[in-house]
Amino acid sequence: MHEWSLADAVVRSLLGFMASEGLTSIREVEVTWGEILELDTEIFEEAFYELSRGTPLEGAKLVLRKEKAYFKCNSCGAEWDFKTADEILSREFEIMEEPAGVRESPLHFLPDLARTLLRCPKCGSRDFDLIGGKDLRVSKVVA
Amino acid sequence: MRAPDVLQDEALRRLSRAERLLMVASGKGGVGKSLISISLASTLSEMGRKVGLLDLDVHGPSIPQVFRSERLIRATKHGLEPLKIDGLELMSLGYIVRGSPVPLGGEDKMSLLKMMVALTNWSNLDYLVVDLPPGTGDEMLLAIRALKRHPRSGAVLVTLPSMLSLSVVRRALDLLRGEGVRVLGIVENMAYIRCGGDTVRPFGSLDYASLGVNVLGSLPLDPAVEEAIASGKPPHKASREVMEAISAVASRIEVMM
Ligand SMILES: Nc1ncnc2c1ncn2[C@@H]1O[C@H](COP(=O)(O)OP(=O)(O)O)[C@@H](O)[C@H]1O
Ligand SMILES: [Mg+2]
Ligand SMILES: [Zn+2]
Repeated sequence: MHEWSLADAVVRSLLGFMASEGLTSIREVEVTWGEILELDTEIFEEAFYELSRGTPLEGAKLVLRKEKAYFKCNSCGAEWDFKTADEILSREFEIMEEPAGVRESPLHFLPDLARTLLRCPKCGSRDFDLIGGKDLRVSKVVA
Repeated sequence: MRAPDVLQDEALRRLSRAERLLMVASGKGGVGKSLISISLASTLSEMGRKVGLLDLDVHGPSIPQVFRSERLIRATKHGLEPLKIDGLELMSLGYIVRGSPVPLGGEDKMSLLKMMVALTNWSNLDYLVVDLPPGTGDEMLLAIRALKRHPRSGAVLVTLPSMLSLSVVRRALDLLRGEGVRVLGIVENMAYIRCGGDTVRPFGSLDYASLGVNVLGSLPLDPAVEEAIASGKPPHKASREVMEAISAVASRIEVMM
């Protein structure tokens, strides 16, 4: 459900960027999103095109690129992927998604909380790194 | 061409939506930043202002200790909704992670701060008060970026009247001034203790003239503050003396901003 706020952030950022670069139109924009954010790409696209309408961004093609995440433990060297992470997430922490009223892990909103929300599946340490798969960024602009 | 930093842009945009942006900082820990940001927010709200309080202390969030709530943070189409308690809008990582540790540093911490601020959906506030952690690290840098682009913004620095505290505050002051942030003044906290009919100044007295800043007010070290927090009462009303001191600070800020 944070697709709309994130799409809004991308659109506003791009509009500021166009203004500062003196661009009157953009042909294509590539947005890279980390898989931890669990974006619903259909909703994100709908929001992006809807929010660009009537702005200098209208007509720009959106290309979404999903980036994989992986975790690496600094204590024991274990590595795991997002699917595993999702399975071992602590159920202790929740955010309430409206309007459906579904309880979600904060990880999908704030991926950098990973060290709070899960532990290494092999040794239980919190000293692991989350590599990639957590950002939302504009990775390419084709004017 | 450098691609825009989407989350930072949005974070700064959301911080600039409030009519006035007020940062409470120090550089030093344990001097009362949280107590004073909470008390100022409550007082400004009682003066009829619409106030939000943002806790940027991700390692030791204090706001949920005072404004307690078991409610879950809600995510809507507009992002994460601040909790509404006692007429204030509140956002703190503590409402999400509760008492658990948040081991983070460097880029990851900055990225967490940006995401949290970029998602928080404040209403149209008269004041957004920002409670900072100790230090002049990522949290302060992000706040400085927001203050610099906000026409009605300012920083309040909290200090004890002790030399060690003041030396840290001086550094923070240097940083803020160098960045062109408006420093409204300092608040001297735990300055004196009333004991029977006597007034004791445990840290002595300092002359702030060399700093070239206003002293917005002085608060006593008052055991009633901890008692109020322990019993779930608003700390700015802990005692008459604390209340009057905070009100005076809030009124000065109102005039200056
Ligand atoms: N004027 C005061 N009188 C009594 N206790 C105080 C006073 N100011 C702060 N405290 C207490 O001191 C402790 C540290 O204050 P806090 O606001 O958490 O500092 P900081 O945010 O700067 O680390 C808290 O327990 C707080 O309730
Ligand atoms: Mg604090
Ligand atoms: Zn491990």
